[in-house]
Amino acid sequence: MDSVLVAATVGKILFVLVVVLTLSPVLVWADRRQSAMIQDRVGPNRAGIPIGGFNLTLAGLLHPLADALKFMWKEDFIPPKADKLLHALAPIVSVIPTIAAFAVIPFGDVIWLDHLGEVLPASPSGRGIPFQVASLNIGVLYVFAVSGMGVVGAAIAGYCSDNKYSLLGGLRAAGQMVSYEVTLGLSLVGCFMLYNSLLLEDMVSWQIDRGILGWGIWRQPVAFILFYAGSIAETKRIPFDIPEGESELAGGYFTEYSGMKFGMFMMGEYIAMVVSCALLTCIFFGGWDVPFLARDGIHFSLLGHTYFEHTMAHWAVSVIYIASFLAKTVVLLWLTLMIRWSLPRFRYDQVMKMCWRYMLPLSLLNIFVTGMVILFSGS
Amino acid sequence: MTAGGEALFAFCALVAVLSALGTVIVHSPIRAAMSLLAHIIALSGLFLLLHAQLLAALQMLVYAGAVVVLFVFVIMMIGPSVPEPPVLRGMVTKTAAIAIMVVLTAILAFSLMPVHMPDIALGPCLPGEGAECDQFGGVGAFSQSLFLDGLVPFELISVLLTVAIVGAIAVARGRSREEVAASQHKRDAQAKAAAEQGAREQAMAAEVSAHGGHG
Repeated sequence: MDSVLVAATVGKILFVLVVVLTLSPVLVWADRRQSAMIQDRVGPNRAGIPIGGFNLTLAGLLHPLADALKFMWKEDFIPPKADKLLHALAPIVSVIPTIAAFAVIPFGDVIWLDHLGEVLPASPSGRGIPFQVASLNIGVLYVFAVSGMGVVGAAIAGYCSDNKYSLLGGLRAAGQMVSYEVTLGLSLVGCFMLYNSLLLEDMVSWQIDRGILGWGIWRQPVAFILFYAGSIAETKRIPFDIPEGESELAGGYFTEYSGMKFGMFMMGEYIAMVVSCALLTCIFFGGWDVPFLARDGIHFSLLGHTYFEHTMAHWAVSVIYIASFLAKTVVLLWLTLMIRWSLPRFRYDQVMKMCWRYMLPLSLLNIFVTGMVILFSGS
Repeated sequence: MTAGGEALFAFCALVAVLSALGTVIVHSPIRAAMSLLAHIIALSGLFLLLHAQLLAALQMLVYAGAVVVLFVFVIMMIGPSVPEPPVLRGMVTKTAAIAIMVVLTAILAFSLMPVHMPDIALGPCLPGEGAECDQFGGVGAFSQSLFLDGLVPFELISVLLTVAIVGAIAVARGRSREEVAASQHKRDAQAKAAAEQGAREQAMAAEVSAHGGHG
């Protein structure tokens, strides 16, 4: 491995970290402001930096900053009878897998270093650097493998806090997350069969080859709904917020956490949202695909007739691709926030019944139907 | 193996051994479960060194994501267990156990000492080796052997697992309300019959004793 590859990998890791660590505070802000708009309130808008008699508030965007400062300086209280080691370990176990899951997500097309300033030829030469931290043979299975660890974090947080509410929350979290992981994995099997690959970058290029009508959401709508619902349940947000249940469990498994440890749980939840929305973008919304934008420029053609053509430099196309990926992810995140503030909560038995009685059989049916269609269409 | 591979192997092996020991030694069940988790993660790191990417992912997915969670779940349901009284075994048992351990370790050490350890770790694929080396341990190669070469045993194992699940449910579910009611009814009838029998015997005994008294 030479120095260019190492530098590229470090750069990609930094890009992922910057995107994730800036998106999650902005999401907290968006969550609070949007809920205020939906409920006809003002929402957080006060925290600001006074500059010469003028209070710089940025529409409340400084509130997450104030929250972060508060997390750092707040007393870190550990219940006297709690298991101190595991109490400290739980937030780490729940936040690290969610960040690690970003390793296989492709944020953009392959970047050809030798052609950056010119229009990309049909068969580029030189070194191409895929815009993803690691391309593993197991692809999206890696995401499931590492994010399965998050359950353990929530469960031991609930167990080690020496609090009955925490214990109940931990039990519910373990039950709910294990159940929905099954549906989550099975709902994507239809997509694997369709795309004939487990690699996210292959799935994206399959969709790009078939244009906007080839996007996964049109080809696998049932899988999209199941996966989206399952991923909301995995992040434990309303309507699936049974493990946290503010009104009945006082916060659930993280009731006994304060300061930055609580902050890590919260951050883990928002980062998990970003992961699932990035996955949805890759699998169902064509990844970095922009309609009519090919690698060498714009080709606006409909029904075999070309209306407009314009060649663009490789660097410009690459930037547009990455921006398009991030934009799709942000739109999906916005939709997730809307769902949180639009739907009432489920009861615990309803959550479990929905998973095992409706979503699991539906995902199996989806696999069966997809298999039949692929078998008889012969593609 | 490359230097990086050696370091990774040493790290994973050390973590695996220590956490395996921890799983057995630690008293608190939840900490034992966490040691088991660390052990499983270290094992999947070792699988990665052998190019078994799919196996590493399955190790994490099934054991870390499901089995350990199940253990934690059970520990949570049962609650913090009562501290067990220390097991007091006699000196004879302890001495015998230590002696057996020493002998077994010695046998293992002597049998392995003359063997030159083969370098089983796989290096990166050379340019000439082509796709087969590249795919080794990946999803494609794994599925080839699972669904083409070993299809029948694979399906038989899934049937066996289904049987085991049905059996477990049958044992755990207990009996339905009708069955319970029926057996309760039967037991009531038996008890009633027994009571009647007992009363009759008592009456007979009383009669006998009364006659005896008169006699």
